[in-house]
Amino acid sequence: MKCEEIEELLADYLRGNLNSERAVLVEEHIAQCRRCGQEVELWNKLALLPVEQPSPSLRTRFQAMLESYQEGRWENADLALERKKFAGLGELVGWMRTPSLSAAWACVLLVAAFLSGRYVDRGADTNAQQLAALREELRSTRQLMALSLLQQQSASERLQGVSFTTRLPEPDPQVLDALLHTLRFDNSVDVRLAALDALSRYGERPEVSRGLVESLEGQQSPLVQVALIDVLVELRDSSAVAPLKRLQQAPNLDPTVRKHADWGIQRLS
Amino acid sequence: MSDEELMSQVRSGVGELLGVLFERYQVPLFNFYLKLTGNRAASEDLVQEVFFRILKYRQTYRTDTPFRAWMYQIARNARVDHLRRQRPETSWEPEMSPATVPADKAQEAQETALLHRALRRMPEDKREVLVLSRFQDLKYEEIARLLGCEVGTVKTRVHRALAELREIYNQLQSGKALGRSNVEGAGAWPGPGSLQ
Repeated sequence: MKCEEIEELLADYLRGNLNSERAVLVEEHIAQCRRCGQEVELWNKLALLPVEQPSPSLRTRFQAMLESYQEGRWENADLALERKKFAGLGELVGWMRTPSLSAAWACVLLVAAFLSGRYVDRGADTNAQQLAALREELRSTRQLMALSLLQQQSASERLQGVSFTTRLPEPDPQVLDALLHTLRFDNSVDVRLAALDALSRYGERPEVSRGLVESLEGQQSPLVQVALIDVLVELRDSSAVAPLKRLQQAPNLDPTVRKHADWGIQRLS
Repeated sequence: MSDEELMSQVRSGVGELLGVLFERYQVPLFNFYLKLTGNRAASEDLVQEVFFRILKYRQTYRTDTPFRAWMYQIARNARVDHLRRQRPETSWEPEMSPATVPADKAQEAQETALLHRALRRMPEDKREVLVLSRFQDLKYEEIARLLGCEVGTVKTRVHRALAELREIYNQLQSGKALGRSNVEGAGAWPGPGSLQ
């Protein structure tokens, strides 16, 4: 039997839908055909991927939603508004998931609950001002969270911090500073790469492009060096030429990086 | 009580019974989204959105429809809407690596990481059909209804998705064997500078 002929049977075989007679057909085929055999193997291996558990906050949010429905708020309120409220709450909960920040989390939730509570009380009369205040509150909270996360011990928390900064509509200088610091001094390559990725969005800001050029010096990982050269070339920052030339002269430089630096210098000069 | 009975009750106004359905399906739905998006926060938001929509559109539920099929239809729509709203640069976040694997099972951890990475590199539609059939325990007939195609097509697509997974998996594995594991390790960040 050829692979094409076995296609449908194989899918059924994987799910145990075949009677023994047809299962034997498939087994004979996969004993001879390495590709199909490997596919069956991979299918079985997929069982290794663990079943992940959502955080408890998911249930809390669900219950909040259900309560609001049962209290009849859905009948007279604008449903879209109700949904946004839960989404907002959910975002907050999601951001504050880090245990080390639970105290900050509690405060923030309190503020959010207070603000949204006031918002609900006033009902339809509520004006955009309050909503704007809530948004502003949320924005500065995110900023705070990002900054604290960037200083955590575990690399995954710092990564999370970097990814928070990308959700900020307009990160302020303090956040950009923290990202630049991360790019230069974080000891995890992943975190440095993530910081670079986040910073590359704000490359047109002079303080960022200056920081990027400066960070070229002292980078040890070829991955980060190459990524950094790419970003600098993309930003057409000719002030990067001198540091690139210095990098090129560095002893023990990875040959790929040297080549890439060459290319960068050519593009920028 | 069956899912369908529960949902009929919810439809006729007994909202609290949705809680039972939530307990039954929050974990499967969360894992469905997590395998599609790789992002825990977004996956939780999407699960919440599904139950919001179930409640909002409760009147459109027909008692003769299997609840699961209806729910996954809503789940897929929610995902499509989410993708539309999402900015492309936030689509992959670094948290999907299996951090929960115990360190002493190094071999297994490596396999899992490789599988994760291979899955992530698959095109979305192929990944979806694989996730639906392998992890969501949906029958091919149910998937066919969900995707609006023939059962035979689903089977073919499962096989092709698996073939593609095999290709990617092998590529990743041979890349590792050549000592490129460092480069691959940064695969979660296909930034402008990856060395591939």
